[in-house]
Parts: sequence; C-alpha cells; structure tokens
Amino acid sequence: MAVVAASASTTALLNSSTLISQGAEAKVYRSSLHTGSVPILLKHRFAKQYRHPTLDSTLTRSRVVGEARALLRCLRCGVSVPGVRFVDQASGILGIEWIEGRTIRFLLGSGDEGDGAHDGDSEEDDHDVDSLADYEVSKDELMNMVGTEIAKMHLADIIHGDLTTSNMMLSHPSSLNHSLRIQKLVLIDFGLAYTSILVEDKAVDLYVLERAFASTHPASEPLFASVLDAYKRKMGKDWTAIGRRLEDGK
Amino acid sequence: MPKRTHESPLKSTDRPYLALGLEGSANKLGAGIIRHEVDGSSTVLSNVRHTYITPPGEGFLPRDTAVHHRQWALKVIEDAVTISSVSMHDLDCICYTKGPGMGAPLQSVALVARTLSLLFNKPLVGVNHCVGHIEMGREITGAQNPVVLYVSGGNTQIIAYSRQCYRIFGETLDIAVGNCLDRFARVINLSNDPSPGFNIEQAAKKGKRLVPLPYSTKGMDVSLSGILTATEALTYDKRYRPNDSPRNGDDEDCFTSADLCFSLQETVFAMLVEITERAMAHIGSKEVLLVGGVGSNVRLQEMMGTMAEERGGKVFATDERFCIDNGIMIAQAGLLSYRMGFQTPIKMSTCTQRYRTDEVHVAWRA
Repeated sequence: MAVVAASASTTALLNSSTLISQGAEAKVYRSSLHTGSVPILLKHRFAKQYRHPTLDSTLTRSRVVGEARALLRCLRCGVSVPGVRFVDQASGILGIEWIEGRTIRFLLGSGDEGDGAHDGDSEEDDHDVDSLADYEVSKDELMNMVGTEIAKMHLADIIHGDLTTSNMMLSHPSSLNHSLRIQKLVLIDFGLAYTSILVEDKAVDLYVLERAFASTHPASEPLFASVLDAYKRKMGKDWTAIGRRLEDGK
Repeated sequence: MPKRTHESPLKSTDRPYLALGLEGSANKLGAGIIRHEVDGSSTVLSNVRHTYITPPGEGFLPRDTAVHHRQWALKVIEDAVTISSVSMHDLDCICYTKGPGMGAPLQSVALVARTLSLLFNKPLVGVNHCVGHIEMGREITGAQNPVVLYVSGGNTQIIAYSRQCYRIFGETLDIAVGNCLDRFARVINLSNDPSPGFNIEQAAKKGKRLVPLPYSTKGMDVSLSGILTATEALTYDKRYRPNDSPRNGDDEDCFTSADLCFSLQETVFAMLVEITERAMAHIGSKEVLLVGGVGSNVRLQEMMGTMAEERGGKVFATDERFCIDNGIMIAQAGLLSYRMGFQTPIKMSTCTQRYRTDEVHVAWRA
C-alpha cells in the first residue's frame, strides 16, 4: 500500500530531523530531503489522542491540504511565502522551504521576549544575535514591506487568519541564492488561512494584526500606521471599503 | 503558580463567615450555605437543589420555570437551613444570582433574596453566575490559576484570569454546547430526567459509528448551531434507525440514535478540547478547570484529561453537585466579594439577562 510506504519513509525523515518547537497543533522540525542538501521545514500535525481516530485523520488531512493550497495560491499570485516542498496528508506532514532569518517580532525587539520564549522564534538563540542593522533595513522600510505583502495577499483573496508579528519573517540577505542582496519579507503559518472576497474578512485580518502589534510591541501606533500606509498604497481603490470596515470594527 | 506569587488580598479573619447562596438562573433552583473558616478553608454546610423537569421533547419556558422556582423556594431554603443547622440570624450575607440567565426565573429568586434580606436584616450580594462556577470549581479542586472551560446549557466560554478580571479568550459564536446537546435530546425524544445531557451521555456509550458532522472552530471560538442542524437533518435520513432496531445482514450502512449521540458528543467535545488547548498554549498554562453542567460529562473530562496529559498538565473537574447549577457556588463567590467589602444595596438589587464574565471586578484575587 502506497500510503503505508509513504508514512514509513516520512517517519524515517522525521527521525532524522531536529525538533524546533511545538505549538498547540503541530511540531516543527528542521530537516533535509537528502543528506547535505538545502534544509527544509517540516510541520507535523501529530495525532491527537483525545480525538476519535477517524475524526482526527479527517481533520489532519483537510488542514494539511488546506495549508498547502493556501501557500500555493499565494505563490501563484506572487505573495512571498515559503515554497511547498512536499505534502504527506496521511501522516499529517507538510514540508516547506526553510527561511533563514528572523521573525518580525524578534527584529522589532518586543519588550517581553522572555514571556513567549517557547513560541518558536527562539531558534539559534545563543550565537549571532541579529538586529535590524544586520539586515540593512530600517524599521520604516520593514513596516512598508509588511503592509505591501499583506496587501498582495488580500488582492489574491487570501485571508491569513492569524496575522501576528511572529508569523512574518525577514529572510537574511546572505541566505538568498541570487547575488542581489535584497531582504525579503515572508509571511508564514497559513494554518488558519482561507479564501474570501469579503471586505469584512480582510478588515478582520488587519484588526487582528493591529491587536497583535498593540499587545507585543510597546508604543506600536506609528509602526502599525506605516504598515497601513503601505497597505493602502498597494490596495488602491479596494482600500476605501476595507478602511471603512476597519474603522467600523473599532 | 510560577512567576507571580502575590499575597492574596483577602484578609485573614478572626471569626468564621457564613453565607446563604440562592441560584435560579435556569431550570435549577438551588440554595446552599457555606462557611469560611478562620484558617482560610471553607466548609459546605448544605447544598440543596430542585430541578424543574419538563416532559420528553419539551424545553423549559421562562414563565413556567419562574412558577416552579416560586413554588419551591421556601422548601428548598428551609431544607438548606435545616441541614446546615445554623440559624438565619447567624448569616453574614445573602447572595443571589444577578445574571446571566433567564429573566423571569432570575427575578423570582432575586425577590426571595430581597425579602429574606429585609426580614433578617442581612446585606445582599449580587453574584455573576459564571464567576460563581469558577470560584466553586477552584475551591473544590484546589486549582490555582487554571484555564477555565465553562460549558453549560447557556454558556460556552474559555476563561483565564488576568489582573483582577476573568478574561474570555474564546467562546461560542452562536448557541451553547449544553443547548446543542439538550435540543438534540429533545429531537430524539430522550427524557429530561435527570437532565437531557446526561441521557445523551448514556446513549452515546452505546453508539459505535462515527457519522461525519461539520467541525467548526475559528481560532479560539466555536460555532455549534450548524452541527445541531446537521445532526437533526440526519434523523430524516433513510439510513437512520430510530429505535436501535437490529441490523440484519443487508442493513450495513445505517446508524441509530445512539450513533448520532456518540458522533455529536465526539465532534463537539473535540472542538472544545481543541480550543482549550489553543488557549493553554497561548497563555502558557498547564492546568484546566472544567465547570458548568456539561463539565460533569465523563467523556468530556476524559478527553480533556488526555489532552492535558499530552501537554504535561492536569485537568480539574467536579461532580454534578458542584458542576450543575447550585446555590453553594453563589454563596462562595458572594462571600468572597462580601469579605472584600462589596454589598448590593436593596435599591440596586436588580438582575440582568446579559452579564458577561469579564464585567466582574475580581477584587479577592491578586
């Protein structure tokens, strides 16, 4: 049976990988498909013992596929997200491109880094403490990139569902294989993503991000304002309705 | 608890405190007397309850429930006082449910509380029903700072304490989980005695087949009304066998009412456990406290236990005496706020159908 064979080889893959973090739903590993090849990231939605096995496998399958679809849709529309490397829905594993870099939350230096030490952005903590200067980018430019990327995603009618500064990364310039040393902002974790054309859903997405900024970064108003500015510019005429809805929501 | 170990704002006392609690926000009328001892422990002196039970297939209407409460109030309170063997004159305060709940039953009980307060010249304390559940759960289980899953016929919330407030992290977007189960029990004509939810639980034990139902969690929220509709619709399906009729050889692809109860429970409980786990991961807590009528469901406790174990945590739950609405929890929460100097003047002793958990100032916790 193909399914069993697939799970056996993915189990072997998991065994050879290093666990980076564990969230509520999945374990995240660093791995590579061949020894010595480029690293990839494995997101393993492990079986939940409390759930009925049938229900568990149906849910896991649909979520793995859902996330992969959202990523592919983003990629097709030119939104910067990690590339999909492989999907094993039976074992609940999604393999995606490894992004060498830091989360925006880390780069903005939230005042309470110790508070969320276990939420996954603490890999390689001891050596090379990166800073914004390392990435040759200013805070303002960074916020610009964030706004533009979210706008691109919304123009493709994709709703992220969990926009926080921990779910965006800036890839390190030296990690890009082409010679142009440009930093790239990458949106990650599409576990709650879905497609929608509704103004409401897009406004809620922005509102969630605003709340995330407020709760993790002290004095974040000017930061979020410049995110919105960039978003506005990229969205063009679509902004009017979303902006109004965002204001109504408050 | 890790990190924060502030002094409790509750002052130690030189004498025991006594409170009577009256509860009647839904179809249960409860009266209970609690004593807070000098050493900080508390004793449940009595906990009496009478439930308004309707015929199978029917829910309880506010007006009839209020009539029930009025008819039983004296008997229930009298029993509570007799069992506790304290006198009404020894009480420090009389606590009643201010809300949330059904208007008419709430008003009947508030009226009784006001009358007693005037008769015996005792201060009144209005209590938030949800906070009552949480405080009683904490008292009985000894859980210090848990994530609370409050699941009952009228409420479904995930709550955690932060800065003198029980913050709501997730909740139902439409109907409560108890409402969902009870209404399905009525669809398949299960008895309302002792409660429809209990009978669903018993029927589910006989169920074997998991019938696919919608599964809708949104972040830390859940939506349940669609699942109820879907399950109801399945009772009109041609594969449905209402009376658990024997399956012969060619009757493979069928399901019974027990299967539907089983599937409904498995699906909605899985959703609840999932959002609770999300909240635990978000907050960084390892304790879960289950309160509310549905919290006495053993299957839910079991599922929650498995999840907590996987995370290296622990689940705290109580049995039906304290899970299902009761007077003693109102006495407990009321006495805590009374000891912090809170009283409800008779002019303000109203009730309200809408009273959110996070509106309460939790003065008695650090």
